[in-house]
Amino acid sequence: MDNTGKEKEAIQLMADADKKVKTSGSFLGGMFGGPHKVEEACEMYCRAANMFKMAKNWTAAGNAFCQAARIHMQLQNKHDSATSFIDAGNAYKKADPNEAIKCLSAAVDIYTDMGRFTIAAKHHITIAEIYESELVDIEKAIAHYEQAADYYKGEESNSSANKCLLKVGAYAAQLEQYAKAIEIYEQVGSSTMDNPLLKYSAKEYFFKASLCHFIVDELNAKLAVEKYEEMFPAFSDSRECKLLKKLLDAHEEQNSEAFTEAIKEFDSISRLDQWQTTMLLRIKKTIQGDEGDLK
Amino acid sequence: MVESRTLSEGVWIITMAYPKTHNPFADDDEEDEQQPRSRGGIDEPDEIGLSEAERKQRYLQQQVMRTANSAVESSQRSLGLIYESEKMGTETAEELMRQGEALKRSERMVDNMDEDLKTSQKHINSIKSVWGGLVNYFKAKPEANKLPPEQPVGYQASSKLQNALSQSKVHEDKYQASHPNLRKLDTGGFGATASEDDNSYSQNGYPANKHLRAAHKTLDSNLDEMSVGLGRLKNLGLGLQSEIEDQDASLDNLLNKVDKMDLKINKTNQQLKNLK
Repeated sequence: MDNTGKEKEAIQLMADADKKVKTSGSFLGGMFGGPHKVEEACEMYCRAANMFKMAKNWTAAGNAFCQAARIHMQLQNKHDSATSFIDAGNAYKKADPNEAIKCLSAAVDIYTDMGRFTIAAKHHITIAEIYESELVDIEKAIAHYEQAADYYKGEESNSSANKCLLKVGAYAAQLEQYAKAIEIYEQVGSSTMDNPLLKYSAKEYFFKASLCHFIVDELNAKLAVEKYEEMFPAFSDSRECKLLKKLLDAHEEQNSEAFTEAIKEFDSISRLDQWQTTMLLRIKKTIQGDEGDLK
Repeated sequence: MVESRTLSEGVWIITMAYPKTHNPFADDDEEDEQQPRSRGGIDEPDEIGLSEAERKQRYLQQQVMRTANSAVESSQRSLGLIYESEKMGTETAEELMRQGEALKRSERMVDNMDEDLKTSQKHINSIKSVWGGLVNYFKAKPEANKLPPEQPVGYQASSKLQNALSQSKVHEDKYQASHPNLRKLDTGGFGATASEDDNSYSQNGYPANKHLRAAHKTLDSNLDEMSVGLGRLKNLGLGLQSEIEDQDASLDNLLNKVDKMDLKINKTNQQLKNLK
């Protein structure tokens, strides 16, 4: 088919480009138009990489892009080098996540060096997503999301920063780092509650913060709910707040049936997502744990 | 034929009790058509024989319970849908905000590019000719002050939103006070038009049956929640609309700037090529 032909062509191009780079390394080649040759080789690497992409040979494509990127670095073309690294990362994403992360990290380093923090942040998010899905290393994913949020904050892109922070918070709570999660949710909640467009989502953030408080300690949760109601009056009208109050009562009475009942009622109207269900289950365990102690 | 009349009587009781459930979610659409025919029929059950009346009454009650339950269930579903739409709306709003920020950033960068191009144009002029260089020397000082502020500014959503919000709140209160249906509900009765319906209900205006009363209460509170939710959705929608309008204007602006930039870059490239 067309693709295998393309692949052969690509392999040929790679070989040619390699030769060009080698010859330009020698003294004579450097004298008589070395730079031109290197640039040509660079272009050939890119073309070869594109052909590998067409043939769906992702590893070879990534490899070719990496070569191109290194040549760009030699020629001091930082922009082009970073772009090639990104292309390499995208190609490797489908085949070898570790290589992809290496390439993307190199690109991020170049961008932060140049001072282009927004785009560096965007790629931190990509790296974090790879850690989330393919390599399932939540700690590293959190670290990259945090870095991205810091860069976005530095560039005054608060909405994008909030998006990253929320992910950090969700994963932190999953890993039982509740203090961190609480701080993040409260921060995001208070910053969004004044904005006329975003305030509709503020109540959800306060709800999540209260859930985290709840897991740590019931009294904390009560104080927290009161504090949020004071800060943000619309929170007290929301169904989430009513659910929280019912849950607090059920927990005080150590009544796990009332607890489940309240949750079911809430779920019947608007579904609880995976994260919230996990948190609620943890809270429920603390009720049953206490019951066991009493007996 | 008698059965159909009793069925329609039962339905008539329900449809009079819920003046607001003429909505597409309820199943009573087909039964609404039988309404006009049976308007006078409510007095008839008293005239028919007792045992038959008792049977029919029980049947009627079952029908009433069933329709009440289905009304409650459908109101639950509608409530769920409203909350889902609200959730989607809030997520959209967040995306919109992000986009707005990105747009502002792009505009700033394009402005920067413009300044850079001006500087490079000056350099080209000075390379091209000595006279051009002299002109540049005199032009240089005033232009340096025109640089736009470098600090990135925090993104502000449109203030029209806040006005729209406060206005719609005022309107909402007025609407609730004046709308006839809502007033009926406030006087705490089902069939608050007390002139009709006094046969079917006990004195306090609520149906005597305990279960039915509970169902009506749930339905009542659900409808209240629905109306509040719909109000919120409307405000969210208005906010989204004004935000999108603003961004639309920004986009057009940006497009113009980028087009001009494109032309300038091409011109500069040409000049550079000619210099060689």
